[in-house]
Amino acid sequence: MSTSEALLVPRRERGWRMGLRSMMSKELAAWWKTRRWWVQCLVALLLLNGMLAVNLNGGRGTPNAMENATIALMVTAALFVPVAAISLAQDSILGEKHSGTAAWVLSKPLRRPAYLLAKLIANGLGLFVAWVVLPGVSVYLQLLKPADGYFTALRIAGVMGLHYLNLLFFLTLAMMLATFFNSRGPVLGISLMLAWAGPMPFISGPILKYAPWLYDILPWKLLIDFNTNRQLAFYVANGQPLPTVTPIIATALWCVLFTAVAIWRMSREEF
Amino acid sequence: MSTQIHSQNHMMNTTPYVIETYELCKTYKKIRALQSLNLKVKPNSICGFLGPNGAGKTTTIKLLLGLAQPTGGSAQVFGKDIRKENDEIRRRVGYLSQDPRYYEYMTARQTLRFTASFFYKGPRAVIEQRVSETLDLVGLADKADRPVKGFSGGERQRLGIAQAQINYPDLLILDEPAASLDPQGRHDVLDVMERLRKHTTIFYSTHILDDVQRVSDTVVILNKGELVAQGPIEEVLAWGQADSFTLTIKGDSLGVETRLRSQPWVRSLEEMSRNGRVSWLIRVSDRELAEAKLVPLALAGGGVTICEFGCKTQNLEDVFLNIVKESNHEYK
Repeated sequence: MSTSEALLVPRRERGWRMGLRSMMSKELAAWWKTRRWWVQCLVALLLLNGMLAVNLNGGRGTPNAMENATIALMVTAALFVPVAAISLAQDSILGEKHSGTAAWVLSKPLRRPAYLLAKLIANGLGLFVAWVVLPGVSVYLQLLKPADGYFTALRIAGVMGLHYLNLLFFLTLAMMLATFFNSRGPVLGISLMLAWAGPMPFISGPILKYAPWLYDILPWKLLIDFNTNRQLAFYVANGQPLPTVTPIIATALWCVLFTAVAIWRMSREEF
Repeated sequence: MSTQIHSQNHMMNTTPYVIETYELCKTYKKIRALQSLNLKVKPNSICGFLGPNGAGKTTTIKLLLGLAQPTGGSAQVFGKDIRKENDEIRRRVGYLSQDPRYYEYMTARQTLRFTASFFYKGPRAVIEQRVSETLDLVGLADKADRPVKGFSGGERQRLGIAQAQINYPDLLILDEPAASLDPQGRHDVLDVMERLRKHTTIFYSTHILDDVQRVSDTVVILNKGELVAQGPIEEVLAWGQADSFTLTIKGDSLGVETRLRSQPWVRSLEEMSRNGRVSWLIRVSDRELAEAKLVPLALAGGGVTICEFGCKTQNLEDVFLNIVKESNHEYK
């Protein structure tokens, strides 16, 4: 044994946590020590706050300007922001499966649940800062004067919380799908179909007719509801009691289920 | 056929093997990638793992590392079961894959730091020292702070060797370590392996048989998912060598060939060249009989001049090709 080997303190993590700390550091560094963080922040600000600004300015003087602007913000958050989460998740898993880096790190003392959880936590945190906190603070500031303080910080935080739950749903869904499939097509296709099918009026017709209960167990009602215009975010933004919390609980449960299935599937993956 | 070559010492050795597999199998859908592999690797040996493309070498390595699961049989590394105790195995193993890939945005130093973080939690200065000495060892010190994205194939391979042994592994598993290296790089890799020999066991697959002959002390040969030879390199090299003769003649080659083929102790006759002279590689089952009778048999019909006769000295490539060829015949 060499001198330096004798001085090194070995890691002794066991079970599902083995390698979690190392993998998490690496995943966080991939967010915060590369250009990813500012690219994501910039896109989030341009997309969400840009959309709000355009609608606020465009509708200035009209009676429903404020309502239209906030609806536009939520539509953007519901329909387009999940693309960021889906794309990050599939790059994170599928990209590594394809490039061979997954096989490389998994040949080290790293458990597969730790590998997945590190990605989930780091991406969840990155999305939270870039797509929720930063735009949320900006939305608050943007609405402060035009709404004359109507949208309190708490209400904005509530709406952004629903937005984050929606994002987590698509992040965990895409991660789970990426553990099952080896090509991007099915991961993107299934995730986007779920993101758009419920809210889009021309697709949602058959769902409303044959399986309306899906709206209660999927995140479709959290941010927008073209059919009734009574999305949960509407109630939160106006400080009204929620008519139902089922979609919130169901979405949270889906996130847990998707993560559990992803871990199960990853444990069976062969490289 | 399975040519098991064991020295007496090997069989008597009570030291546990570093790698030991029992009837290890792997089937992908309907393709049998590995069939009943019984492999043994002794501590502190350099074991060359040979076989044609698709023989099952990488599959075996992946099974040992838990990157794939066996469909039959079992295996132990350091006496630990590859299915149940793979975490413990991976703590003590360094692995270089066939086509090493890293996170492209990381520098070589960051890659090694990241790898080391799976094994050690500190002290930071000692980890940094280990990273630097490993970079030195593989000749990447001057490129340590360049992103891996710009690395050539050879540089990636060197980085692969560095990351594989950052944790002072008890077992180093290298899948084609010299595949994309230039002659100097290959030479350096072999030097590194020689230096590591006293600290670790090295199990490596390769196609470069000269390298195997130079550094390995044991050899395992796989063909079509089956083990066809295993043993100390001297014995594998000796296999077939004592039983092969070369004979070069001028004259009635057809008559000589007919007489030789009719002998029950002649196992095979392979024509090697025909430029006015005819040369054969003759494999026999009885060496003494062959030594005594081959020349008289050749001369028996008259009109024949013996130009050359001798025991065939084979290198590993000859042995490898012969073993693979014979096992292929058995499959047919």
